[in-house]
Amino acid sequence: MKNKGYLISAGILLVLAFLWAGLAGRAFLKMFREESLRPSSGLTSKKMLSDYASVLTNTPGDTPVFVYEGSKKGGRALILGGTHPNEPAGHITAVLMLEHIKVQNGTVFIIPRANNSGFTHSDPQEGNPQEFFLKTSTAARRFRFGSRLTNPVHQWPDPSLYINPSGQKLSGAESRNLNRCYPGREHGTLTEKIAFAIVRLIQEEKIDLAVDLHEAALEYPVINAIVFHEKSAELAAIVQMELQAEGFEFRLEVSPPNLRGLSHREWGDFTPAFPLLLETANVSQGRLKGKTSQELILTGKDKFYLRAFELGRLFVPYDSRGIPLKNRAASHLAAVSTFLANMAFFAPEKKIHVTGLPRPEDLIKNGLETYLVPGSFSDRDQVRKIHIILHGQMPLFSR
Amino acid sequence: MSEAAVFLVMVGVFVLLAMAFKVPIGISLVFSSATGMLVSGRSISLRHLTEGSFGYFDTILIILTAMIFMKVIQMSGLLDTLTAFFIQVFYRKKGRLLLVVMLLIMFPGMITGSSTTAVLSTGALVAPVLIKLGLPRLKTAALIAMGGIFGMVAPPVNILVMIMGSGVDMPYVGLTVPLLVMVLPLAAGTALWLGYKDINIISETKMRHILPPSLYQKFGLRLFLPLFLVFFLLLGESLFPRFFPRLGIPAIFLLGSLSGIFSGKRFNFFAATQNAVQEAMPILCILAGVGMFIQVMTLTGARGWTVISFLSLPPLWLYAGIALSMPLFGAVSAFGSASILGVPFILAMIGKNAVLTSAALSVVAGLGDLMPPTALAGIFAAQVVGESNYFKVLRFCLVPALFELIIGIGFLVLTPYIDKVI
Repeated sequence: MKNKGYLISAGILLVLAFLWAGLAGRAFLKMFREESLRPSSGLTSKKMLSDYASVLTNTPGDTPVFVYEGSKKGGRALILGGTHPNEPAGHITAVLMLEHIKVQNGTVFIIPRANNSGFTHSDPQEGNPQEFFLKTSTAARRFRFGSRLTNPVHQWPDPSLYINPSGQKLSGAESRNLNRCYPGREHGTLTEKIAFAIVRLIQEEKIDLAVDLHEAALEYPVINAIVFHEKSAELAAIVQMELQAEGFEFRLEVSPPNLRGLSHREWGDFTPAFPLLLETANVSQGRLKGKTSQELILTGKDKFYLRAFELGRLFVPYDSRGIPLKNRAASHLAAVSTFLANMAFFAPEKKIHVTGLPRPEDLIKNGLETYLVPGSFSDRDQVRKIHIILHGQMPLFSR
Repeated sequence: MSEAAVFLVMVGVFVLLAMAFKVPIGISLVFSSATGMLVSGRSISLRHLTEGSFGYFDTILIILTAMIFMKVIQMSGLLDTLTAFFIQVFYRKKGRLLLVVMLLIMFPGMITGSSTTAVLSTGALVAPVLIKLGLPRLKTAALIAMGGIFGMVAPPVNILVMIMGSGVDMPYVGLTVPLLVMVLPLAAGTALWLGYKDINIISETKMRHILPPSLYQKFGLRLFLPLFLVFFLLLGESLFPRFFPRLGIPAIFLLGSLSGIFSGKRFNFFAATQNAVQEAMPILCILAGVGMFIQVMTLTGARGWTVISFLSLPPLWLYAGIALSMPLFGAVSAFGSASILGVPFILAMIGKNAVLTSAALSVVAGLGDLMPPTALAGIFAAQVVGESNYFKVLRFCLVPALFELIIGIGFLVLTPYIDKVI
């Protein structure tokens, strides 16, 4: 009789466990649904990253590369968004660019989701929303808020100690951080393969200017910054001065020669490109953040960060207005546009002339929603989400 | 409801369930997390609860497989054989015995950066030796727990520093000397303080009397296969990561356990795994619950409130804040403490040498593995010596832990001077 009781208890618990796993699993699987990308009419070809390293073919690391080639010759640039999918300004800026850019001189390559796998999960114990929405004139556009690291479902287990392709010793989890894996390994881990393919793209396409778009927490010293390899120093300095004149504050940070595996270091050492990395200030990825929400991602307003600023613990100015996503994307856009415009200064034949991009000050004034290609009503899930945004929260026992 | 109030409600529900209603700690944590979501005005999200618990997925696998490994080396006769060997070598040299034992306990922690691995592998091996030579069970467990923590902090692999380093872009170089300067005296002092008075110097006759049966004559070197295999794979992965397959610690323990089936005495492997799972289940449940708890703390802003409260301390109180908060936060996880608090603390002391600062902070953060309810080092050390109440073990860890704290904080305060010397 006692055994029968145990069996019934075990059976009930097992059913409940499966139910829990099923419901939670459904929520996790939602992260695998990619947001739509709507390239501008200036698109000349669409490639995949695996075109540069076949080892990536049919892997979760493969990702689209949008190519915009001008009618006139010129320099070649690579814009990388989504290296860290929990840094939304980098991703959004790349999306905005691919939706609007028209290239007159030169060629621009845009990768909006550099670590495609990182978009398919969120970081445990960070309590982040899985996605955020920007309401365009017709419907909301959905964007995933992913993880800094490759999904462990795609690359696991982590070693205790990770020694990256450049010989830098790092904690095991960093083996899934794309921006610690350069120059990559053709037959390494998934993240190393992605890094390898990006470096191969820069080499094969003879990229002159490569920009990696990032964000950082406000307590991190390298913030609102242009991180430059020594060979990009002059370009970085000129761009910083121009940006300052336009009201965008960036500080200059040289790429530390002994911190290996990062894009600004390894792209500079292994390719002929001018590598640059941009950092804007993102409250939602910080350790001091208060309640996590979609609003925190979009507005960048947080009372604990305000307190931290008053205590002198931050490396950027911060007030009750927060640092909204639109301002961060505008900063990225201003910097990238200025980099592109200044290529001709170094060599006239490297001129890159682009049109169609929103003006950064307009982006701040009118909001990101104004410049994103409107969403479609056909997606039932999106409509449901808009309802939730406009009318309140998810029902009890939401997933 | 404010973030502070949410946190207090969560803690209140946990204490009420765990203490007053004697609900298992893991389950109490699940309910307190769910309550946290509700009182903060959110709905109960299974996604968040599950995601939080997955923060400990790797740790859970390590514990589970290490427990299986421990059972296998017990049942195959390897543990008795090794105990007999150590007693024969060291029964008249207690100082050397204690120092060698401490190094042995630390070793797996030094190469994996995990105190649990150390406690459940070599810790389990040396425990019977110490007990048979007269060290009380609880002191044996305390020595093993402290050894595990020292191993976790000691070079070459200190994950705590690596985590802090990645938060401030500091490469993992130049840590060996400062870490050794702090850890070696602590390790030697702890071993002698805990053991020297109680370990007996015994006669050969008595030694023969307490010697457990050695199976070396019967099985030869084959008996040591699980141990050799585990150390070979752990060392290989740490020292030659480019050439070694990346198996991960759980798979290494599992392979070691499987090899035990053929290495010595015959035993029921399935029963060994059942036994291990049964013993590990409460702590695995606690870890999953703690993961949910911290996820909800972050979700509701309670984590941010905790961090900013400590950072708000006046400069003179900063060291007191570090001494208090980093070990306390270790109740969630020592690694979590290094990431959530260690990084802001390094940045708060930005004028100092970050290598020395992070080394000192890692020594302080390591103590988190003694902090209930997770108290990984304490719980498993208690389990190794067959003690069900790990608080009794923590009592003997108090003095060494206090010294560890003093050395860590002292190192932090004196960083500008130490910087000129090492």
